[in-house]
Amino acid sequence: MTDDSLTDEPGLVLADVHAAHGSVQVLHGVDLSVARDELVVVLGPSGSGKSTLLRVIAGLQPATRGRVRIAGKDVTGWRPGRRNVSMVFQTYALFPHLTVAANIAFGLLVRDTPKQEAQDRARRAAVAAGCDHLLDRLPGQLSGGEQQRVALARALVREPDVFLLDEPLSNLDAELRVETRSELRALHQRVGGTMVHVTHDQTEAMVLGDRIAVLQAGRIEQIGTPDEVWSRPATTFVARFVGSPAMNLVPAPLARSLLAPTAVDGLRSPGGSGDGLGDPGLLVGFRPGAIRIGGTGPAGVVERVEVVGEDAYVHLRISDRSLTARVPAGDRPEVGSSQPMSVRRPDLHVFDGSSGRRLAGP
Amino acid sequence: MLAPFLLGLAVLVFIPAVVTLVMAFADYDLIRPPRWIGTRNFTDLFGDEAFRAALSNSLWFAAITVPVRLLLALGLALLLHRRAALVGSARTAAVLPTAVPEIAYGLLWLWLLNPVYGPINQLLLVGGQNGLTAFGRTPPQWLTDPNDARTAIILMSLFTIGEIFIVLLAVRVSLPAELYQLAAIEDATGWDVFRRITLPLIAPVLGLLLIRDTIASFQFSFVPALVVTDGGPPPYATTYLSLFIYRNAFEYLRYGYAAAATLVMLLLTVIAVLVQWRLIRPFWARYRL
Repeated sequence: MTDDSLTDEPGLVLADVHAAHGSVQVLHGVDLSVARDELVVVLGPSGSGKSTLLRVIAGLQPATRGRVRIAGKDVTGWRPGRRNVSMVFQTYALFPHLTVAANIAFGLLVRDTPKQEAQDRARRAAVAAGCDHLLDRLPGQLSGGEQQRVALARALVREPDVFLLDEPLSNLDAELRVETRSELRALHQRVGGTMVHVTHDQTEAMVLGDRIAVLQAGRIEQIGTPDEVWSRPATTFVARFVGSPAMNLVPAPLARSLLAPTAVDGLRSPGGSGDGLGDPGLLVGFRPGAIRIGGTGPAGVVERVEVVGEDAYVHLRISDRSLTARVPAGDRPEVGSSQPMSVRRPDLHVFDGSSGRRLAGP
Repeated sequence: MLAPFLLGLAVLVFIPAVVTLVMAFADYDLIRPPRWIGTRNFTDLFGDEAFRAALSNSLWFAAITVPVRLLLALGLALLLHRRAALVGSARTAAVLPTAVPEIAYGLLWLWLLNPVYGPINQLLLVGGQNGLTAFGRTPPQWLTDPNDARTAIILMSLFTIGEIFIVLLAVRVSLPAELYQLAAIEDATGWDVFRRITLPLIAPVLGLLLIRDTIASFQFSFVPALVVTDGGPPPYATTYLSLFIYRNAFEYLRYGYAAAATLVMLLLTVIAVLVQWRLIRPFWARYRL
């Protein structure tokens, strides 16, 4: 009976979730709905409340207001063990005294699963996570990447309603992180499952997430596909936080002065009325790649140049503002030189200066 | 840089140890020069009723107090590892008896155990009539009945667990919180958490404390027996090896005899430690990663 009523329910629903550490409010009303078999990445800087959000979902910390629904059941106030979630911790939280096999089977054994069945299921989960060759080892004998796989296998073994991953890749070195990231993505596509993955790493969020929820100071700033979050940031915070180097944000008059005459609109002089940038209270954002150096336009002084592989990030000062441009490394200007620069109108994101909300843009 | 330490070690440990070892085979009373008498001290020891009583008392004392002290300290550490109201005061209370100087602690117990006006017996008499406890029994005669006296010495030792408690508390607090959060997510019961997580993770330290406390147990019966029961009731109800050695050396001036008893005590300690080491070693091997 219950099953029928549940089939259309999302895997996880958070409604107006508040949480606090002592007297400090950490979450201020989070609404989030994760479809079954969807992987949502919660992206935010440290201190934004993303770990707290996971802990509230898991039941390790109470929501001071709001509801948590998992697989159609309102689990608000339920103890963690009843919620049928599993969690991968940033530190992996492997039991140092138990073998890999016993670590993976832990959740089954404490739930009185017969030993043989627990072993079989642990082996299957280990195969799925790619650590079945390590079953007899102790965690202390494993590398960071191997430990991470074991933690993942342990999360998989019970086939929970929701997987919670708390920065599981952050303790890996850069190369391994990239590799594990794609494995994690592939694993999710293979085994499915409702997943909430928390990270502060925007690239990780872009690569992994079906959707990204950007969290800032306990509030969700934007939820959308990686493409939406990238190309249509809902707030100035998202605009600055997603993308590296960060998007340039300048007052409208400065952006307007940088506007290059376009072919269609070649006769329009700066200061004209058709560009929608007339209100000086607006903030205008454009990606570093949108700045064109050379040609015509107002000049900025090159303060610093960072070469990152094929790209060079050029930091320019203009009207007491620092802007970052991305140019091919071979075309980088001299430090100290004065360079004319321009941007095109279609590349501009327009935000309300006081609320930070998106008004218009590409 | 090590020199002062080595000097101290030599003067305070190595030289006395060698002297003791030699003196165990001699007769020496501080007045006449030492006289070599071979193994006669040892044969005398085992014929000595006082020594046999002291040996048996010491072994019983160790067998009872060491495990009970460990369990008590473990229980307190697990109870008091969380920060909560009154936990700080409770921790202080658990450690405080250990911080009291031993002699003062002994004198305090002399008062606590007083059969007539001591608070322990006053408490036991609550609800009883005609000088009997509520269960109609005579209250313990702590200082005059042999078994009650031995119980009193054990009781005294159960409150000086501050050090073990602090070590176990520190170990428990240092266990990663994530392990316990994971256990909560996996719906592990309190018993499962203790059996599968806490106990195995604390076990290496428990083993260490077990060995340490066994070694110490031959010594920490000394002051209570000296101050509170004076080795009695007669003849030797609470004469432990340490007190036996002290009496022979410093009261009867039988230094050779006392040295021989010291060697026997040392040997017992070594045997106890080796047996425990064998029992614990498989546990430890698991953590040597």
